Amino acid sequence: QCGRPRFDPWVGKILWRRKWHGRRSIPFKLLGILDVENIPCARDSVLYGSLGSVVAGLGHFLLTSRIRRSCDVGVGGFIVVTLGCWFHCRYNYAKLRIQERLAREGIKNKILYESTHLDPARKQTNGGSSSS
Amino acid sequence: MAYPMQLGFQDATSPIMEELLHFHDHTLMIVFLISSLVLYIISLMLTTKLTHTSTMNAQEVETIWTILPAIILILIALPSLRILYMMDEINNPSLTVKTMGHQWYWSYEYTDYEDLSFDSYMIPTSELKPGELRLLEVDNRVVLPMETTIRMLVSSEDVLHSWAVPSLGLKTDAIPGRLNQTTLMSSRPGLYYGQCSEICGSNHSFMPIVLELVPLKYFEKWSASML
Repeated sequence: QCGRPRFDPWVGKILWRRKWHGRRSIPFKLLGILDVENIPCARDSVLYGSLGSVVAGLGHFLLTSRIRRSCDVGVGGFIVVTLGCWFHCRYNYAKLRIQERLAREGIKNKILYESTHLDPARKQTNGGSSSS
Repeated sequence: MAYPMQLGFQDATSPIMEELLHFHDHTLMIVFLISSLVLYIISLMLTTKLTHTSTMNAQEVETIWTILPAIILILIALPSLRILYMMDEINNPSLTVKTMGHQWYWSYEYTDYEDLSFDSYMIPTSELKPGELRLLEVDNRVVLPMETTIRMLVSSEDVLHSWAVPSLGLKTDAIPGRLNQTTLMSSRPGLYYGQCSEICGSNHSFMPIVLELVPLKYFEKWSASML
């Protein structure tokens, strides 16, 4: 489905807006590169980073009353907090994906092999009864 | 498949492509932070009245801007190497399909059990049915079973071509006189489109690749019908 060209006076150029499979074709990207809508953990990391930046910068200013240095501390806090949240969230996300994959394969094996000699539940039961 | 004005990757269909997407996200976040820092430093430089024309040594900052980039590069290199070796793992393919590049079409051979081979030409724009994709549809798709590891052997009969399917994370050069191998594993059924990725003449843009991944029993029916 084609959209009609739309003239945006703020941008000053014609923008094509198309709906493709029911989703917006142009997601919002920070600095034009980071798609915070679709990359897992990106939005949370940037938000926490912004909060950390404000807290660090403001706190430094309240303690020292030095504006430029407080801005530097704010930017440094943004980078450190964003990176920290990013790695923490991505690590947990990777663990979750592994668990989801194991669960999916377990369900598939259960469905495929139920009531056969390859049934995982039957193997565990046989193991339990033989040991008792 | 690709959509208009696309800037990022297509959705991943294979586990390797998922890993590549995650690595891309990881690297992009690092690039974003470095870009933010550089933009901030530029704004600082442009808004200061201070100048210093007699710097003699700057040991501390030089140490920082040597160690920090080294750490960043290690943080990028380790996942990158992990994926690189993951892509080369031996995974016991169940099926082998050969694909030969020609000017300007692909031919495919399924010779594991019977002799099945066919050519795959692009459907010209004038012959497209409503809803079909321009410059992407072919007359004979490559039908393959999903959730199965498949070995693709890629070569060429004439000039260099490249067999590429972005959503599976595949791109393998088709070199005359050489056999290149790649493995393919799709997590879900569907149609996956790709295009020749090595300049090969006037119709280089008009020799697409279409993979049709289906459950095994449909693949068996299709291969029986093609014989």
